[in-house]
Order: sequence, then C-alpha cells, then structure tokens
Amino acid sequence: MAQPAPGDLSPVEAQLLRLADDEYVLAERYTEWQIFAPTPEADLALANIAQDEFGHARLWYDLLQDEFGYEEPDLLWERDPGNFVHSPLVELETPDGDWADTVVRSYLYDVAERLRLDALADSSFDPIADRVRKVQSEEGYHREHAQSWLDRLTGGGGDAHRRVQSAVDRLFPYALTLFAPTANEDEIVAAGVRTRALADVRADWLDEVVPYLESLDVVVPDPSAVSHPDEVGRDGSHTGDWAALHEEFTATYHELGFDDPATLRSENA
Amino acid sequence: MSSDACAHTDYEDGEVPEGYPRTGDDATGAEADVWGALAEVEDPEMPVSIVDLGLIYDVTVEDGHASVEMTLTYTGCPAKDMLTNDVRCAAMTAAGVEDADVTIQYSPPWSVEMVTERGREQLQEFGLSV
Repeated sequence: MAQPAPGDLSPVEAQLLRLADDEYVLAERYTEWQIFAPTPEADLALANIAQDEFGHARLWYDLLQDEFGYEEPDLLWERDPGNFVHSPLVELETPDGDWADTVVRSYLYDVAERLRLDALADSSFDPIADRVRKVQSEEGYHREHAQSWLDRLTGGGGDAHRRVQSAVDRLFPYALTLFAPTANEDEIVAAGVRTRALADVRADWLDEVVPYLESLDVVVPDPSAVSHPDEVGRDGSHTGDWAALHEEFTATYHELGFDDPATLRSENA
Repeated sequence: MSSDACAHTDYEDGEVPEGYPRTGDDATGAEADVWGALAEVEDPEMPVSIVDLGLIYDVTVEDGHASVEMTLTYTGCPAKDMLTNDVRCAAMTAAGVEDADVTIQYSPPWSVEMVTERGREQLQEFGLSV
C-alpha cells in the first residue's frame, strides 16, 4: 500500500489524515515538557493531555488502516515528511523554556478542535461520528487547563503577561492555518464528511478566541492584516522546525534495523 | 476557605444510555459462559472486573466463534492491545468456544456512570470514590 499523499485522497481520507496528523504532532511537542514543566501538577497534566492526543491520533489513524488499507509504517514511520498535512501551528518548536508559548498554542488549538469535532458529530461517515463524542468528552479538560493557565499568566501583568502577548503574536498567524483547506475541501463538505465549511468554523473560532484573549488584556492581531505564513501544512508544506521533529520521532524506528534483523546464535547453525 | 477556591474537573458528566452497562445477566448457553469468563478479566490498573467497569458492550457466539464488542475507559488507553488480547484469550476459555475476536467501539462513549454497583463497591474498597 502506498503512503497517503495530500492531493490524492478521497474526502474521508483527507479529513481523517488532517485530524490524525494535527493530534499526533501536537502530542509530540507536548511530550517535550516531560520533567521540565513549571510545576509537578503541570507536568502530569501535560503528560495526560499528550496521551489523550496520541489516543485521538490513533483513533483516526486506525480508521485509515481499517477502512483504507494503510499500514502503520505508511502512516507514520515511513511516510515522507512532505506528505504530513498537520497545521504548522502544532509543529513549531517551543522557544526554550517558554511555558506561555505552550499554553497559548494549546488554547488556540483546543478551541479549534472543539469546533471541528462539533462539525464532525453528524458526519456522513459513521465511523467518524461514532468516535466524536468520546473524544469530545476528553477534550473539555484540555481547554480548562489552557484557560486556567492563561488566566494565571495574564493575571499579574509583568513578564508572564508579556510572554503570553508575544506567543499570541507569534502563533496567531499559524493558528489560522488550522482552517486552511485541503485540495478537496468542497468534496468533504458536499459528501457530508464534515457538515460545516472550514470558513464557517474559522469564523466561530475567531468569535470565541479574540474576545477571550482581549478580556485578558492581550492584543490579538487583525486576522485580515496578519502576514500569512507560506507554509500551510495541509498541502504538505511545512516550516523548518518540522524536519527535525520528524527525524526525532522516527529515529528509533530506523535504528531498529528491520532490514538487518538480529539473529540468535543458534539460528541457522 | 471558600468552596470555589479549588477548581476541580467534574468527571461525572456522562449519561448512561438505555441498556448499559451490560453484564450478560440474561445471556444463556455459550454466551453466558463467555460473560462468566470475561468477568474474570481485571482492569490492568485496578482490581475490578472489566465487566463491572461496564467495558463489555456485547457478546455473541456462533458456531464456536465468539465475538466480543468492548470499549475502553479512554481513547489513549496504553493497555489497549494487552486488554483486547486478555479478553480474546478469556473468551476462548469458555466451553464451546474455539475462536474469538474482539472489536473496540467508542459509541456509546464510556463514562464512570457505566460502572456497576459491584464495581463501585470494589473501587471504593480499592480507595477510589466514584
């Protein structure tokens, strides 16, 4: 079976792949905080959120395997990094020790995720619809976590508030790529795989995140005036941060040396 | 200290759909045997049967082949492969069963509300309040 390649997928495959890749790559970034998060509670919370996101990625990758015949190596370990279709928001390297960056990214992503799942709850593709409610029940806590940290970081002003502002300035243009269409966006909606267009989901997202961030005295860039990144992810284009992350999470797989398996001394004796 | 000083996550927001949890009480024959065998399988982290946790959604046996439909407490469950294998092996110990398969489903979504009364007592004894 070939690897999934953006631009050459059925509407259901395209929808599943962007869901799975977003969750998987974000979880990879979350795990980088293990033992480094600012408090033990934050460390545990983020580990748990990462595990949820890996679990959700698996739900969608499982469907690609069960319904479309892909194998796990096609989807993850051997897939060309240029065939991943996650939003660049989730691949960006975290500035060294910048907890605010992770909190802001999590908030921007998790609101988008809730809206996206709402738009999939009545999917014409039953296996997606069947999984949505369980995923949603696990996502509420992620938003609660991000918002409680945003409240704390912005509540006292000073350096923490400045870091949140700077993370919003940096991440907001990339967050908009969450809603960038894949080649067959029209077919996805026409077939009812997702019941709402990405443009509508994006409008709802802006209606929610902009007033909330402004209520924290954070200035949100004007979405029509931001300079949009060249890399939108959904077509396989990615930032420079992606290559290193991809290499890191596939390194162990390649080190296993499947082409040259270890043999026991007594074998073939 | 005011009661809202400590924010907490409310996990008890699930509703129990009609007919759940399923415990196999009305099963007969080989299917009853499979339910009995599954009752012996415990959650990997807690000394509670997966049947009492409400994880088993359906059991059918046809011509010696058992099919078990089950769910997981949450989607990221790292014990998924281990647990499905345990369930498959347990089902095959039932009289009249030669082969078994296990499928995972997430609808209806599991919540702690699906734990049986006996499961709740056992969890309480273990130190968990649900």
